[in-house]
Parts: sequence; C-alpha cells; structure tokens
Amino acid sequence: MDFDIILQAIINGLLTGSYYGLAALGLTLIFGVIKVINFAHGSLLMVGMFTAYWIVKLTGWNPYAALLVVVPLLFLFGYGLQGFLIKPVLIAQRDVREPTEVIIVTTGVWYILDNLALMLFGAEYRVVQTSVSGQIFMLGDYIFPKPQLYGFIITAATSFLLVWFLKYTKMGKAIRAASLDRDAASLMGINQYRVYNIAFGIGAAIAGIVGCVLIPFYYVFPTVGVVFDVKCFIIVVLGGLGSIPGALVGGAIIGLIESIFAQFIASTWTELIVYVVFLAVLFIRPAGLFGEKRDW
Amino acid sequence: MNSGSRRKTIDTVLKVALAVLVFTLPLWIKNPTYMQILIFMLLYAYLTTSWNLVGGFAGVLPLGHSAYVGIGAYTSTILWITWGVSPWLGMWVGAFIAAVVGTIIGIPTLKLRGAYFALSTMAFGEGVRVLAENTVKVGPCVVGGPQGICLPLVPGNNLALFQFVSKTPYYYIILIMLCIALFITWHISRIRPGYYLAAGGEEPEAAEALGVNVSKYKVWAMALSCFMTALGGTFLAQLTLYFYPKQILGLDFSFELAFIALIGGRGTIAGPVIGALLLRPVSEFTRIYLSSVLPGLHLVIFGAILILVMIYQPFGLVRPLSRFYDRMLDALSGEKKKER
Repeated sequence: MDFDIILQAIINGLLTGSYYGLAALGLTLIFGVIKVINFAHGSLLMVGMFTAYWIVKLTGWNPYAALLVVVPLLFLFGYGLQGFLIKPVLIAQRDVREPTEVIIVTTGVWYILDNLALMLFGAEYRVVQTSVSGQIFMLGDYIFPKPQLYGFIITAATSFLLVWFLKYTKMGKAIRAASLDRDAASLMGINQYRVYNIAFGIGAAIAGIVGCVLIPFYYVFPTVGVVFDVKCFIIVVLGGLGSIPGALVGGAIIGLIESIFAQFIASTWTELIVYVVFLAVLFIRPAGLFGEKRDW
Repeated sequence: MNSGSRRKTIDTVLKVALAVLVFTLPLWIKNPTYMQILIFMLLYAYLTTSWNLVGGFAGVLPLGHSAYVGIGAYTSTILWITWGVSPWLGMWVGAFIAAVVGTIIGIPTLKLRGAYFALSTMAFGEGVRVLAENTVKVGPCVVGGPQGICLPLVPGNNLALFQFVSKTPYYYIILIMLCIALFITWHISRIRPGYYLAAGGEEPEAAEALGVNVSKYKVWAMALSCFMTALGGTFLAQLTLYFYPKQILGLDFSFELAFIALIGGRGTIAGPVIGALLLRPVSEFTRIYLSSVLPGLHLVIFGAILILVMIYQPFGLVRPLSRFYDRMLDALSGEKKKER
C-alpha cells in the first residue's frame, strides 16, 4: 500500500474525527454536569442543521455566518428544554443517583423533534450549495477539503473556548463544582438548576455548531441525528463519559478507523469494525480511555 | 357477609371473568386484522415482560433487546431452512445462544454505571444489525443481508413446523408464553435472588456492603431475559414469515420495548402488560389512519405520552390504574372509603 494513500487517509480521518468529536463534546459536557445522557443530542444537531440549511438557502449567507443565529438559538432551546421538561423530573428523582427517567424524557424529545421535522420537511435528503462546498486546499500532494478543514479549526476553537470558560469564568467554575458534588455546590450558594440549564444550553449550542459545520458537505434529513447519536455514544464511552479530551480523542479514533479501514475493505464493514473496537475497549478498559475508574 | 369478604369475592369474580374473556377472545373476534393486532399486543407484552427482568428488576436500562429478538428469529429460521430443524426445537437453540451472548455482554457492562450499560447495549444492538445487513451467506446458511429472510410456506395448519393459516393458534401460543413469563417474573420477585436484584437496582453500594454480589445476579437476570426474548423472536418470525434487519434488529424496536415498560411501570409485574395494552393500539391505529396524512405523527404522540407520563407518573401508569381498581372495588362492595 502506498504511503501517500495512507497519509491521505489519516488526514481525512482526523478531519472527519474532528466534527465527530465536536458532536460528542456537547454530549459529554451535559453528562459530566447533569449525569444524564441526552438522547436528544442528535436531534438538537438536526435542528441546528435545518436552521443553518434554511438560513443559507433563503439568504445565501456564508454557512459559518449562520453560526451567529444558530448558536444563540440552540442555546436558548437547550436552556428551555432543561428548564421546562427535564428539571421537574430531576427534582422528582433528586435522591436517585442516576435518574433513568430523565433519559426517557430526552428520548421523548428526540422522537418528537425528529418526527416533527419529518412532518414539516418530508423525508427527502437535502443539500445546499454554499460558497465553500466542494472547494479544496492543497498542501504538497495532499488534499484538504475546505469545509472539513474549517470544521477542524472550528472544533479546535470551540474546545479551547469551552475549556477556558470552564476553567476561568465564574459560571464555568460553578459548573465544574456542580458536576463534582451537586449538594456541596448548592451549599456554597450555587443554584444547581440554573447551572444545569446553562450546561444544557451550552451542550445544545455545540450541537448547533456541528450542524453549521456539516451543512456545506453533508445531507440534511429528519433522522440525520440518529447517525450522529450512535456515533457520539460510542465516542463518549470510548473516551470516558464526561471527559472533554476523551470526546475529542474518541472522535479522532472513530474517524481514523473509518477512513483507514475504508482503504482495505467495503465501507459497510468499517462500520462493523467500529462496533468491534468499541466492544473490545469495553472489555479491556470499561471506563474508557479518559474515564475515572473510581466513579463509574 | 361483611364488606371485606364481599370485596374479595368481587375481586375474584372480576379477575376470573377477565381470564375467561382473554382465553375465549378468538371465539368472538373473527376479523384477522383485529386478531393480528391482539397477537402483537400479547407479543409485545411478552417481550416487554422479558425486558423487565433486567430493565425493571435489575434497575438498568437495556436499549438493545432487538438484538436478542433477532438472534432468536434468525437462529430458528436458519436451522429450519438449512437443516429442516423444526422451529420448536430451533427456538431453544436461539434462546441458548441469546443467553450466552447476553451474559458475555452483561459481564463487563453490568458492573459499570447505568449510563454505560444503556449506551453499550444500544451500540451492541446496532452492531448486530450491521453484521446481519453485511452477511448474505455463511457456509450453507442463508442470512440474506439487508433483504432478510422469507420463510417458505407450509400448507395448512402445521403444528410440528409452527406455521398456521388461522390466527387462533398463534394467539394461544403467545398467550401461554406470556402467562409463563408473568409467572416467572412473579416467582422471581418472591425469591431471594429477586430481592437481591431489587436491592442492587435501588442501592448498589448498600447491597454490596451487605455482601450481596449484585453484578452476579444482574448477569443472571440478563441471561434469563435474553433467553426469553429470543423465544419471542422465533414466534415473531413464525407469525410474520418474513423479517429483515432494519425491522427486527432496529433501534426503534428496542426503544419501543423500553417505552412500553416505562409507561406501564417498570419493575412491576403488570406494568409491561398494561403498557402494551395501552400503547400498541395507539401505535397501530395512528399508523393505519394517520401515517398517510402525516407521517411520523404517531411517533410524536408516543414521545409526548412518554414525556407526560415521566413527568406526572414517573413510576408508570400501573399505580394510578391499581388505585382506580381499588376504588372501583370499594364502590362495588359498598365499603366505606379507607385510607390507602
């Protein structure tokens, strides 16, 4: 096998892995803080994608300008979702360490959002021609598709911003405190439900960012979220639930597996290899690459 | 006769009447469509009861049970088509394989926190689907890839080969399977391992501290649950005579089982049955009458019911319904309102 081809596959894998990782980042943040798996995460991504799709389609904006609308919109959406639907169940299940009922509420949200999109927009696969679609950037002999490259940069910037926010701002510190020990944080005067609303809002906003990143090169359809849901779940388990570097590294691993194995075997089988790797990690290192063994 | 014993008599009479009605239903209903809906209702009640063993009593959330339905259906069907083994025998082989697979998956995942278990089972279910979709043939066995398998038709009602033209035999077979599953659940909830399971589901640390090997019992529950689920898979294959990976191994199927249990009341014996009785008609009728007008509406309704039940009745509908039943008994026996 040609060295150049393998290197190109690695480049493609890392570029793909970056937006997988970004999608998983929102999920892992929400889990880390609220200890709830957000099954509606893919649907939030779908909402972000459809919003970006209509913005680009109707106004002809640059897809990344849509971020200005999509990010605040999804933040508010996530904030409201947590505040109105999830909070009552969380309060009712206060004493349960892992409230399963909340997972079910998010699953209900998933079903409603996906099928509302189906009713509104139909099942067809949509593409929108943007100003960056199909453009490439050459470095030597290696090809970097521009939309994916921008996606990589946006992933890096978002992760950096998120880590900075969690480390240095007052709200970020409150979020970290609540994720470590919600009762102690409450005693220190942190309003834990407000922290949850904001964490959920940020998670949703990140899903919205992924939506904008995907628009120039990915199809939009009502169940697009399910594709990413399953990938994100694998990534966060692989990387360790609640771990930010885990999400990014997990995303890169999945992206690399897909693109490198696609050089040797049919692409339907690479999907299977992802599951095999996932199960193998589960047996060898159940808490994931960056997960803490003690708590899970 | 005092009101207490009268209440008891009325309770018994109602329950016997219900049992008689359930067992004679095929005599009244001749329409095959309604029979099919009823059979599916019972099948879902059976599958959810099996799910409930691990999802309810062990307190975790399995989201990949369609994998075991599929293992049951594929095993018995492939054995029959390739080597002529009767599905009545093949179903036990499938169930055994499912139990072994369930144990292998359960051992690492059931030790972890619930979130890991939910995600792992879901990913495992999807993995099995991808495997089935990519496998067209293994040696002499036809797996069929994404097209699935069509069972060859057998003329007439053939008990030995588990194929019937009439719907009635299917009704009684699944009814008996459901009764056995309910008995097993009831029995488990009354023996020591059942208590260990419940304890491990609610307070794993406390149970471990008292010397209960929680994950061992959870793995047993998982194995039994997968075993029973696979038996239901064979029944489904014999009933529909055609199945394909997206349907029988799909995510939606796994989730529907979980939804039925949660809306009915997980961890209770009657919950899965009540859930199936309430939700199956909703999904069948909205699909029949509304899917041409508004595709996906029935799933929106499903999602909304789910959220409302989780917010207002987080323990499922079995609680308000049993309260209602108690009040009805009180009214019928003329008993004064008691504090309950």
